[in-house]
Amino acid sequence: MTEKRPSGFANPWLQLGLNIICVVLYELLLKTGAKATADLSRSWWWTGITGLTSPLIWLAIVVIILDLMVWLYVLKYIPLSIAFPLSRVVDVLVPICCWLILKEEISPLRWCGIALVIIGLAIVAKPAARLEERL
Amino acid sequence: MTWWSLVLILVWLATFVAGQLFFKRAMELSSVTGFRNRKTVAFLGAGIVLMTISFFLNLGLLQRFDLSYLYPFQGLSIIIITLMAAIILKERLRLRLTIGTLLITAGVVLVSMS
Repeated sequence: MTEKRPSGFANPWLQLGLNIICVVLYELLLKTGAKATADLSRSWWWTGITGLTSPLIWLAIVVIILDLMVWLYVLKYIPLSIAFPLSRVVDVLVPICCWLILKEEISPLRWCGIALVIIGLAIVAKPAARLEERL
Repeated sequence: MTWWSLVLILVWLATFVAGQLFFKRAMELSSVTGFRNRKTVAFLGAGIVLMTISFFLNLGLLQRFDLSYLYPFQGLSIIIITLMAAIILKERLRLRLTIGTLLITAGVVLVSMS
C-alpha cells in the first residue's frame, strides 16, 4: 500500500463492496440466462454455447468485465491477503440469494455442505491468498 | 450426478485457476517488458483461451444444475491453488490450510450428495 488511498467513490473499500455486489449479480444473471436456454440443445449442452442466445448472459458478461476492472483497482490499494478473505462474503450471499430470489429448494444436507465449505474457506482464505501472491 | 458432470466441473475449475495464473504472469511481465513482448502476449492469450473455456463450461453446467449446488464447488479452486503451490513452490501445507481444505472437501461431498 504505497499509494495514497483515494476517498469518495474511488475509495478502495467502497470498490470492494461494489465487487461483492457484481459477483452476486452476475452469478444470478448467468443462472437465470442458463435456465432459459437449457433445452435448446440436447447433445451440446456441456459446451454452454447455447447460453449466448440469452440477453441476460450478455448482460452478465458486461458485469463480469466491470467486476474484473473493479477487482484489479481494489488490488492496487488493498493487499490480496486482506481483500481476498473479505471478498469471500459472496459465498454466504450467493446461496442465500439462490434461496430467496431464484427460489431454489435447498435441502438440509445441502445447507450443511454449504456451511462446511464456508467455514473451510474462512479458515484457508488468508493463507491461500498468501500462497497465490507467490505463485 | 454422473461421472461426466464431475469431469466437467473439475475441468471448469482447473481452467479457471490456470487462466488466472497465466493472467497474473502476463501482468507481471508487462510491467517489466511492456505488452510488445512475445512472451507477455503468449501468456495473455493462454489466459484468455482458458478463461473462455471455463466460462462456457460454467454456463453449460448452470443449464443443468442449481446455482446453490454448483457454487460450493468453487471452494475446490482454492484447493487446486494450494496443491499447485505445494507442487510448484515445494511449499509444505500448513495445518490451517490442511484443516480448511478437509472442511471444504467434506462440504462439497455433502453438497454433491444432495
